[in-house]
Amino acid sequence: MISDYVLELNGLVKDFNGKRAVDDFSLKSKRGEILGLLGPNGAGKTTTIRMIMNIIAPDSGTIKILGENFSEKLKERIGYLPEERGLYRKMKVFETLHFFGELKGMKSDEIKAKGQEYLKKFDLENYSDKKVEELSKGMAQKLQFITTIIHSPDLLILDEPFAGLDPMNIELVKDIILEKRREGITVIFSTHLMAYAEKIVDNVVMINQGKKVIDGNLFDVKSEFGTKFVNVNYEGDSTFVASLDYVENVRDYGNEMEIELKDINRKDVLLKDLVSKVSVNSFQVTEPSLNNIFIRKVNEGEAK
Amino acid sequence: MKVWTIIKKEYKQIVKKKSFIISTILTPVMMAGFIFLPMLLTKVGREEKTIIIEDYSGIVLKPFEEKNKASKEVKMVLKLKFERTFAAIENKEKQNKLIKEYEQKRAAKQDAQFQLIPEYRKKILDKTIDGLILIPEDVKETRQVYFCALNISDFGTNKYISSTIQKILSEKILTDQNIDLKVVEEAIRDVRLGTFKVKKEGTTRASSGMEYMMSIFMLTILFTIIMAYGQLIMRGVIEEKNNRIVEVLISSTRAQTLFYGKIIGIGLAGLTQVGIWILLAVAFMRRASLGIDTRILNFLTPELAIYFIIFFIIGYFMFSIMFSIVGASVNTDQEAQQFAAPITYLMLIPFIIGIMVTQNPNTLVVIIASLFPLFTPTLMFMRVSVAVPAFSQIALSIVLSILFTMFLAWLGAKIFRVGILMYGKRPTVNEIIKWIRYK
Repeated sequence: MISDYVLELNGLVKDFNGKRAVDDFSLKSKRGEILGLLGPNGAGKTTTIRMIMNIIAPDSGTIKILGENFSEKLKERIGYLPEERGLYRKMKVFETLHFFGELKGMKSDEIKAKGQEYLKKFDLENYSDKKVEELSKGMAQKLQFITTIIHSPDLLILDEPFAGLDPMNIELVKDIILEKRREGITVIFSTHLMAYAEKIVDNVVMINQGKKVIDGNLFDVKSEFGTKFVNVNYEGDSTFVASLDYVENVRDYGNEMEIELKDINRKDVLLKDLVSKVSVNSFQVTEPSLNNIFIRKVNEGEAK
Repeated sequence: MKVWTIIKKEYKQIVKKKSFIISTILTPVMMAGFIFLPMLLTKVGREEKTIIIEDYSGIVLKPFEEKNKASKEVKMVLKLKFERTFAAIENKEKQNKLIKEYEQKRAAKQDAQFQLIPEYRKKILDKTIDGLILIPEDVKETRQVYFCALNISDFGTNKYISSTIQKILSEKILTDQNIDLKVVEEAIRDVRLGTFKVKKEGTTRASSGMEYMMSIFMLTILFTIIMAYGQLIMRGVIEEKNNRIVEVLISSTRAQTLFYGKIIGIGLAGLTQVGIWILLAVAFMRRASLGIDTRILNFLTPELAIYFIIFFIIGYFMFSIMFSIVGASVNTDQEAQQFAAPITYLMLIPFIIGIMVTQNPNTLVVIIASLFPLFTPTLMFMRVSVAVPAFSQIALSIVLSILFTMFLAWLGAKIFRVGILMYGKRPTVNEIIKWIRYK
């Protein structure tokens, strides 16, 4: 029987020196789906990914990739970008692609065609004869990203793919991830930058202190929290907002506030109160951001 | 074959390095220097030495001076200059007395210190003279002379002094018997010992000193390249571990493939280098016009080159496996050096036993030591280079060390697989043993 799921984790547990890093973690991901594995630093994201990649063994639980247990054959169907980046500094750009392509079982002419295509896409075509150490950090990151996808894997596992990239390159990587989804490839990526994740994921899994706190479709997760949120762009002193009795929670970024109301019907009252004290540039009723959801979840967990 | 991908990569990475190209060129230059330097040295000669002879017997000084003028040996190698002493008579007597006291105490088996009068001591310490030869009155009977100098380890000088005085005394005794000086000189002429090595290919002129030097030299080359390539592997592994390339590699291929690919790839690079050197040496040595000492030519046989390659390959695999285990187990170069030091000592032990090997390459201790796999690459190679051990012993040592290397590889692959993905603190020996037990 062929499994519906490209990736299936069941009850993963991993302890490091008596400390539980991952606790009874399960998830399922279908073909052509983008799954964001979200959580703060040290939540257990990388440990989970390492277990998926068979780099470390779980203490208990099972992992199935494309319906199979991990095997050597599977390695060619996965593209993996580790959290800490590294390439051979003395190797030339094209040699690097060739080496990793060959390791993934690609033929030489295949590597050439794909490599040139991607180098062009990532604006690196003029660097193919340069050594890796001559590249800027961002360029090296792009090169490593290409080595991850060059062999057209069925499953892409990206550990913090946006870390260290400038906004333009973040866009680029995001586009590639979306393009891969259209090709029917499953992409699982971890990040602690919720704002980026929010824009592209289909499903969200949130992990905190090794435990899964949220798992589901992005839309479902958001609607579960309801639309009690207001986004305000303003100028002035906004400290009074937190003490308003109909306000549940405020996240103030200085020029912008995310305000959670106890009842969304009080939004007009809020606007009136705001206008009387500060200058309001924009006022918008929104869904909760992943950031807000996450903070709520973590706080709930601690309250228990 | 993914292992081939790794081999290719490792090989290219080394061969393209500047240091590889430089050492490939520089080593033969140094080797040539080593071969030509002794020839050069004998031509340039040594520094002149001023030596005083204090002759209380009255029979040695004059003939010594004459012999020194006539001696070809002195002009070629030693260049000694002898001076008559102008010391006051009372000084001479004092010194003579001191010598007598010393000899009496020694005869009575008492602790005695040889004493020089202050004037002589000062001259030697000031370096106004390089040495002082004291010849007692009764030298004819005791055959005892004294040579006092700052440097007494110059064997050439020492031997020249003792043999010259020996001749002078023999001449004196015989001419006192009214035998013609010419006859005496003819009677006591030196016998020269030519040393010839018997081999299957034939008997060739050789000298033990040269053989010793050459075999230590070859051993040093063997040791140096094995160490260099071992360290290269170690550092490569640490680099991959530190920048986490290893995670990508392991997610693309087996740890074992990586392990063997690395060792084979870098080994092939080493073999390339050794191969180039041997080719250069062959091309170079065949030019007889260069006037290379035939004893060196006779030493560097094709057979020796083959053994060099065999023992290089075995030694390389054995030690590079150990070095890559170290690389996989540690996190920094500093930690690695601590672990690597014992491996280096393992390779240095044969140098100490080596002296024994050249003196007597077929004693039981040497045979057993050379069959011990860790010492085989160096010690057995040394034995092959100075003597011809029984072929059965060579074959046995090769088989044993290959078996040992295979065991090491099996063990190493296991440690490597776990170690390379472990970050953080340095593992304890217990932990490493646990890694071996992992399935």
